Amino acid sequence: MGLKEKYHEYHRPILGMASVIGLILLWELTLTYLIPVDPFFFTKPSLIGTAFREQLFGERLWRDLAISSRAFIWGFSLSVIVGIPLGAVMGWRRRVEYTLDPLLTALYASPLVALAPLLIIFFGVGLLGKAVLVFLLAVFPFIFNTSAGVKSADPLLINVVRSFGGKELDLYLKVILPGTFPYIVAGTRLAIGRGLVGIIVGEFYAASEGIGFAIQNYGDTYRLPDMFVGIIVLSAIAVALTELLRKAELMVAPWRAGEEIR
Amino acid sequence: MVPCIQARDISLTFKPKNRDPVTALKELTLDVAKGEFVSLVGPSGCGKSTFLNVLLGLLKPDGGEIRLNGKQITGPGQERAMVFQEFGLLPWRTVLANVELGLELKGVQASVRRERAMELIKMAGLAGFASHYPHELSGGMKQRVGLARALVTDPEVLLMDEPFAALDAQTRDLMQLELLQIWDRTKKTVVFVTHSIEEAAYLSDRVIVISARPGRAKDVMKIALPRPRDYEMRLSAEFNDIKARIWASLKEELVTK
Repeated sequence: MGLKEKYHEYHRPILGMASVIGLILLWELTLTYLIPVDPFFFTKPSLIGTAFREQLFGERLWRDLAISSRAFIWGFSLSVIVGIPLGAVMGWRRRVEYTLDPLLTALYASPLVALAPLLIIFFGVGLLGKAVLVFLLAVFPFIFNTSAGVKSADPLLINVVRSFGGKELDLYLKVILPGTFPYIVAGTRLAIGRGLVGIIVGEFYAASEGIGFAIQNYGDTYRLPDMFVGIIVLSAIAVALTELLRKAELMVAPWRAGEEIR
Repeated sequence: MVPCIQARDISLTFKPKNRDPVTALKELTLDVAKGEFVSLVGPSGCGKSTFLNVLLGLLKPDGGEIRLNGKQITGPGQERAMVFQEFGLLPWRTVLANVELGLELKGVQASVRRERAMELIKMAGLAGFASHYPHELSGGMKQRVGLARALVTDPEVLLMDEPFAALDAQTRDLMQLELLQIWDRTKKTVVFVTHSIEEAAYLSDRVIVISARPGRAKDVMKIALPRPRDYEMRLSAEFNDIKARIWASLKEELVTK
């Protein structure tokens, strides 16, 4: 009885984990029994596990993570500081939107990682070049989502606040801003993914440290288990950040619990 | 005696971009006495809601004059509050914070408005729901919040734009009854817009039939039924006569245009 109820309570994470564990098992068993490949060319979970343990107690992984996070945090913070106000102004003022929209849409749509070599020349191989790349990738979801959120402000709610004597500032603070919140959260989710791509690509191109460099470096030297450790750590970070965002959202905005996720 | 609301020859034409202009109201004239419950009925798109928005001060008429206690209406004001058809609750605010809105915009001190809002929440039958969010409430409860929010600033005139149209039939019956009780206690002047002849006849002192677009006051009918009214009254022959009279007037507007 107890076990069945427990299953029903947690069946979502249980089923989700099952697919991950299933893939790992399949991978391990295939390479062990079906197609025994030379570990020089490919690797399997048990070897990655060993490498993971070693790296966890080593110094390099942590140093790389610290280096990469610094660039990520700088670039990401800057994209929040620039993107949200810029998006808000674009949503409020039609002329600003008409002026900037084509340019920004073109930039958003184009593969900005192609600019990485140029940015490295401009800003160097260190923190700055990477932070700028993260910024360039992460800023667009903030701009466009904030703008969409402002534009989608419910005219009914605007009328409600006006009818009770609300002035323009009240409309911004009591209707438009809170209404933008879910859009910004959705933008943040996109920006996290794009920002991580920025870090990795920046470090692939030119760097001597950082998690992206580590992945590149392990690959070049055929240390595949170590390379996979880097990849797994990265995806764990992406998942953790997204999950953190979801928790923070429900804490800051409990009214969102009943709304559909856009 | 000066009527509470005086509308003289109100005209309003909407001029949307790239579309033909639409004359929503043409020379609409009507009076509402202080403490009176008046309903406006009319075909869809006849401008009843437009007129309420003019009364509320959100729309300015192109022609005519509209006065409240002899003073020209130029914008929203504390003497008037609206109950909206689609509730219009701010989803990010609790019931309490939604009800407080009007006082907050007036700059009333937090502790005072809290106390006042809790009073209204209780009166609207929402005791125990003050910290709920709108998405946790049923339609009927949402409109109770809408009603409490409109009454919190103690306005003289209550404007209601098809407030019960989005509710199921039984909730609607209950809300009508409660509205009558609240009206009886608070002595507000009410201008009530509805599609329902029955609702108009049941609630009102007078029913004003608005013509098809452009809207003007076509017929005014006094509802001489005794008060307090109850649900059973709606089964009487007298009540049916009144409904038939309103319908006869309204029908012409529905078929011809």
